[in-house]
Amino acid sequence: MGELEIEPEGKEIKTKEISLSMGPQHPATHGVLRLVLELDGETVVKCTPHVGYLHRGVEKLGENRTYLSALPLTDRLDYISSMSNNVGYVNAVEKLFGIEAPERAKYIRTIMSEMTRISSHIIWLGTHALDIGAMTVFLYSFREREWLLDLFEMTCGARLTASYPRIGGVRNDISQQFLDSLYEFTQQFPGRLDEYETLIDKNRIWLKRTKGIGVISAAEAINWGLTGATLRGSGVNYDVRKAFPYDSYDKVEFDVPLGVHGDVYDRYRCRMEELRQSNRIIKQCIEQLPPGPILSPDAAKFVLPPKEDLFKSMESLIHHFVLMTKGPLTAPPGEIYSASEVPKGELGFYIVSDGTGTPYRMRVRAPSFVHASVLPRLCEGGLIADVIANIGTIDIVLGECDR
Amino acid sequence: MINKKIKKIIDTIFFTEIIRGMALTLKSFFSPAVTIQYPEEKRQPFPGFRGQHAFVRDEATGKEKCIACGLCGAVCPSKCIYIYTKEDPETRKKVIDRYEIELLRCVYCALCVEACPVGAVVLTENYEYSEYTRDALYMTKEKLMDNWDRFMAGEKGREYFKKFWTPGKDSFRAYPGQPVFKRQGAGNKEAGAEGK
Repeated sequence: MGELEIEPEGKEIKTKEISLSMGPQHPATHGVLRLVLELDGETVVKCTPHVGYLHRGVEKLGENRTYLSALPLTDRLDYISSMSNNVGYVNAVEKLFGIEAPERAKYIRTIMSEMTRISSHIIWLGTHALDIGAMTVFLYSFREREWLLDLFEMTCGARLTASYPRIGGVRNDISQQFLDSLYEFTQQFPGRLDEYETLIDKNRIWLKRTKGIGVISAAEAINWGLTGATLRGSGVNYDVRKAFPYDSYDKVEFDVPLGVHGDVYDRYRCRMEELRQSNRIIKQCIEQLPPGPILSPDAAKFVLPPKEDLFKSMESLIHHFVLMTKGPLTAPPGEIYSASEVPKGELGFYIVSDGTGTPYRMRVRAPSFVHASVLPRLCEGGLIADVIANIGTIDIVLGECDR
Repeated sequence: MINKKIKKIIDTIFFTEIIRGMALTLKSFFSPAVTIQYPEEKRQPFPGFRGQHAFVRDEATGKEKCIACGLCGAVCPSKCIYIYTKEDPETRKKVIDRYEIELLRCVYCALCVEACPVGAVVLTENYEYSEYTRDALYMTKEKLMDNWDRFMAGEKGREYFKKFWTPGKDSFRAYPGQPVFKRQGAGNKEAGAEGK
């Protein structure tokens, strides 16, 4: 409410706009995002996002680490989908080095990316619903997420910061227990999705809070540079997995769900449908998973030679020491851009190599940063309560936004 | 068309979608709990869990395995490993003098374990490493070797290490018994997160 100024006659009431700072410590801003809102009553007149509270200089750090050592940095971009970030990064480096991961590693990476997509989308669903006022979905979605995190832990030893893919393949092979448990998950997960939908899909409060809120047209969404489900909610058919297939995405069948109206509800429907498609991809990948090597033979030159060789061959020992301390000195000079579809949108790595063991420049195109810039467009003219819905719907993680 | 309209009216009056949601929550109310009462109940991490570090004690000599090559410190992404070496007066070999890990800066990526050519450092399955002081999390060689005795000594440590011994020969080839999908094997209830 603006400050009231009552005229001496007491007839006319004038209101003044006030500015309200939302965040950086607000539970509904999904991290340390600060929004300065100019309010006229309950209407948002102006919204200014302030980002950078979680800046750690990942891009600059990447320039001072070898290609292998920079991998754990990418875990910490979007910390709830670290596996996808790793896959995006190793794909970029592989493209730069001109090596290709073996078939089995590609399938494993696809499985991991899609598991990450599910775990990221269900945490999004839970927190988005929690912000809008439906708490039960949050509790249920974390139940399924736990299962996936257990599977991550089983494979790579970490639940969140995975660092599992390697340049030229993956770190270690998956176990039979992992495959069986994951297959069981794919059988059960559609039923769990139905549960979430029973709770909120037709709920009248949910519909009132989401339909017609934060509308953005297809043309505008493209102009703002939106990607991922935020773009597809407006009906634009663009998915990196379909447009520029990487890993095993060209070998599996899946649909790209599209929205119509471009409002919060359509983006919610898109993500729910994506969860089903991810489940389908995982199932196909498990069924098609071929036996074979998980590291490309070239990886011995660029990443690490086999451990067994260290004490048998002098050459391997020298390779091992040089690769660990100075990085791959045979890295070809050049520059590449490689994009991958992470749960938030299009994550791009632009890497410039000058032929030394460390990247000369590592630029990260973070979808969350681009999506945060569209917040004023979505919020202005709406109500203050819808700001929360808008922050939730663009699905930002501030770790990636501030890098 | 009319049926749809009537259905919509009934839905609006009788809150059917909300009642359906409530029925689901009621059902969950009587289903077994999935949570673990943490401080009382503890969850066993999977083999290969990346917890707090330990310095491997060689069973033959009772001393550390480390050969003071410095690879772990070189590859560490957060540069939190400090190695000080000296010359052994008897054998005239380079040996470790002080080996310190600043755990507050560590990111638990396990690259040090992968870099080590002799397998002298490992991440244990200890995940309860919160402390009240900074000093407690500045690990010296002695503290790290205590960790090994506490969590990893014996057969367990050798088994545990296998996950970190990468890339092995098997990474570069297909080996017998490699896990692939078996239609009969699927639905193995014991696997992974049981009973969910």
